Parts: sequence; structure tokens; C-alpha cells
Amino acid sequence: MESLSAASYQALYLLLTGDRDLWEIIAISFGVSLRAILFTTPVALMVSFALAYTDFPGRQFLITTVNTMLALPAVVVGLLLYILLSRSGPLGDWRLLFTQSAMVIGQMVLCFPILVAMSHSAIQAGDRRAWETALTLGAHWWEAMLTVMYEVRFGLLAAVVAGFGRIIAEVGCSMMVGGNILHYTRNIPTAIALETSKGAFAQGIALGLVLIVLALVLNFLISFFRGRGGLA
Amino acid sequence: MTNSSPILEFTELRKTINGQLLLNVPRVVLAQGQCVVLRGRNGVGKTTLLKIMAGLLPPDQCTVHFRGKRYSWTQAQRFYRNEVVYLHQQPYLFDRSVRANIAYGLRHRGRQGTQLNKTIDEALEWAGLTHLAQRDAPRLSGGEKQRVALIRARVLSPQVLLLDEPVAGMDREAREQTYALIGRLSVEGMAIMIATHDTDQNMGLGDRYLELADTKLRECGEAEYGAEVAKA
Repeated sequence: MESLSAASYQALYLLLTGDRDLWEIIAISFGVSLRAILFTTPVALMVSFALAYTDFPGRQFLITTVNTMLALPAVVVGLLLYILLSRSGPLGDWRLLFTQSAMVIGQMVLCFPILVAMSHSAIQAGDRRAWETALTLGAHWWEAMLTVMYEVRFGLLAAVVAGFGRIIAEVGCSMMVGGNILHYTRNIPTAIALETSKGAFAQGIALGLVLIVLALVLNFLISFFRGRGGLA
Repeated sequence: MTNSSPILEFTELRKTINGQLLLNVPRVVLAQGQCVVLRGRNGVGKTTLLKIMAGLLPPDQCTVHFRGKRYSWTQAQRFYRNEVVYLHQQPYLFDRSVRANIAYGLRHRGRQGTQLNKTIDEALEWAGLTHLAQRDAPRLSGGEKQRVALIRARVLSPQVLLLDEPVAGMDREAREQTYALIGRLSVEGMAIMIATHDTDQNMGLGDRYLELADTKLRECGEAEYGAEVAKA
């Protein structure tokens, strides 16, 4: 087995010399997760706003469901999606299994509850006078909704960052519905799992470094947005 | 101006909150250029009445007459957005500059470019607040916020202005400046209703005085109002 220091040195070498395979994995990872967060955010924000500002039948049930989904293991989401998307499954005709689209769907399911729970808290904690003021100044309901979201934008950004952090590092769902196919569905977490099982630690450490740096950046951003939210 | 033509009239207005009757008002009228002072204890329903009249809170029942035409409260939503502006006890200014706050309602009425800027400049000059134009609105003092909120409402040229405790918590100087602005708005022809629980806030602006107590609205003359103020 390579020594840790040698593996780390090689990992840095791979990163800094722009190793094609390594950076392709990073690009796939970011491509899939960014699409997932991009598609999920508008829906999650609408749901969060509805939960905070309207009273409809099933509202409490929806809040409980979302909170329950926060604890849903990624591998369970992967399993359910696998059953749905497999050839014999109800959505088998879509032929999505082992594609990036399947990974995007899985990650959307995973980040949705985080986005809703955190955005709901941010909107709920916002000042209701913003909504009434927007309406009384002539805004349509949807314009007033956007105004309220702008007023709590730092809390919402923190929610988006936290959601992205959840899915960029998840391995269970991506492995099951993506299949870990090189140059296509292999992302950072599935590549780390594979390389480690092969005993090739250098690439695993290099990808791990990317995730650690990313985690630092995301946590810094969350702290920053929360701080700004508190000041605003 | 007590004989001016009615702009806004509510009849058979009832509102129940948590199963308890809060408002049972047979008739309340606002006329052009008339300033009505609405007095009542804390929690008696003044804010609720104002919010119903502003279209922000649905009543259990009521009929609205606007410029002589009869509407249900729901139908009346159409003109509320353009003709009635409500100001909170502590007005909410959006998290942007004073200038952008004043522009908010104007943009929703389709104003933009030179015309928009000219209207904002004139309004700031009218209120003597030009020096605040680029300031962060949430960081203004209470008195400054109230005056900015007043000119933000004025630029929309509403028919009716509903002010909820507009000078609560202000020092004497800020109160006098705010009264002066309200007086000038009244002279411009707006129908104004001012809710106050503070018996010391006669302010010399009222053309009519109403008292809300035990779900009922009662008209009282200025002398009677003054006497009750002295008793209280």
C-alpha cells in the first residue's frame, strides 16, 4: 500500500497538472448537482412560501413529511428510484437508469426537503409587513412573493448552499441510479468509493481534497449569508 | 371639508377572530380631503379595521361602496391596489435605498426612466428628504422611516390613506414633522384615516372623530373627543 504522504503528493500532482480523468469526474459531479439544485430551487421556494403564508388542507402533513424526508438516507432514495426506473419498474420505459438524468432526479429528491425546510424557516421568520406593504403599494401577489423572498434572500441563499452541500457529497443514490460509469456518471463520491476499493488512494485523496475545500467554501458561504441575514 | 363627497364606504362590516366578535360596524365612510381620527384602546380592533379597509384582511362580511359603486370585499380588491394605501404603525421599508423604496410602487404602476426619477426627486424635495435619497432605508430612524413611507404612499396618488398609529414612539420633533406631512397630504385631497390609542394625539388634524369600543364604532365631536382625552 502506498504511504499516505506519497498518495497525498500524487493527489496534488493529479489536481495541479490538470489530470483529464480527474477533472472530468469533478465536472460531472458539479454538472449533475448544479442541475439538480437549479431545477429544485424554484419549486422548493414556491412550496416554502405557500407553507409560510397560506393555510390549506394538508399543510401540517406536508411540513411533517418534509421534516421526515430530511432524515431520508440517500441510499434509500437510490433504492426507490432504482425500483421505479429499472426496466421492469413503472418508469422503466423512460430508460433513465444509469444516466446523468437519473442522478439529477435522485439529487433533486435529496435536496428538496433541505431547501423547503430551511427556506420555510427563513420566510416564516421574515417580517410579514413586507408582504402587506408590497400589496398595499400595488404589487400583484406574485410580485409581493418575490419581494418577500428578496427581503429574506440571505436565508434563502443559505438554504440553497446547504442543499448543494448535501447532494454534491452523496454517494448512495448516485451509485445506485448512476451506475458509476467512467466518463458519464462517475462523480466525485462514487469515484472515491471505487478508487479506495481498488487501493488507488491518490485519485481518491485528490477528489476528497476537492470535497473538503468545497465543504469549507460552502460553510463559509452559509455563515456569511446567515450573518448578512441577521444584519439586514 | 366635512361635507366632501364620500370616496370609500363600508357597510355591515363584521369580523370575528378566534370565534370572538371583534368588529360589528354598520357604516364607516371616508370622504375626499377629509381626515378621520379613529380612537380606541389597544387591542380593540383598530388595526384590523384599517387592514380590512385596505384590502389586506378579509372580513366575515361587508359591502364596499367606492365612489358610489357597490362591491363585495373580494371584488373591491381590484381598486384597493391602486386607490388605497395602508401604513403600518412602524412602516416597513424594503431592504434597499430610500430612493428604491419610493420607486417600488411607481414601478408596479408602469413608471420608469426619466419620469420615474423626476417623480422621486420631486417627492423627496416636497418632504425635505433629498439628503436621505441614497441611504439604506432599514437604517433610518423611526421618524425618518415614517416620513419616507408617507412620501412612498403619496407618489402613488391614492384616494385613501390609512395610517396606523403614525407617530407612536416618536419624539416631539419627529411627531411634529410627521403631522405636518399628514396635514399637507390631507390638503392635497386624500381621504385619510388615522388610528390612535394615544389620547394625547388629537394633533389638530381631524375633521371627524370616531371611537371604536366593544365592537362598535361611534362618531364623536371634537369637543367630546377632547373631553374624553382629558378624562383618560
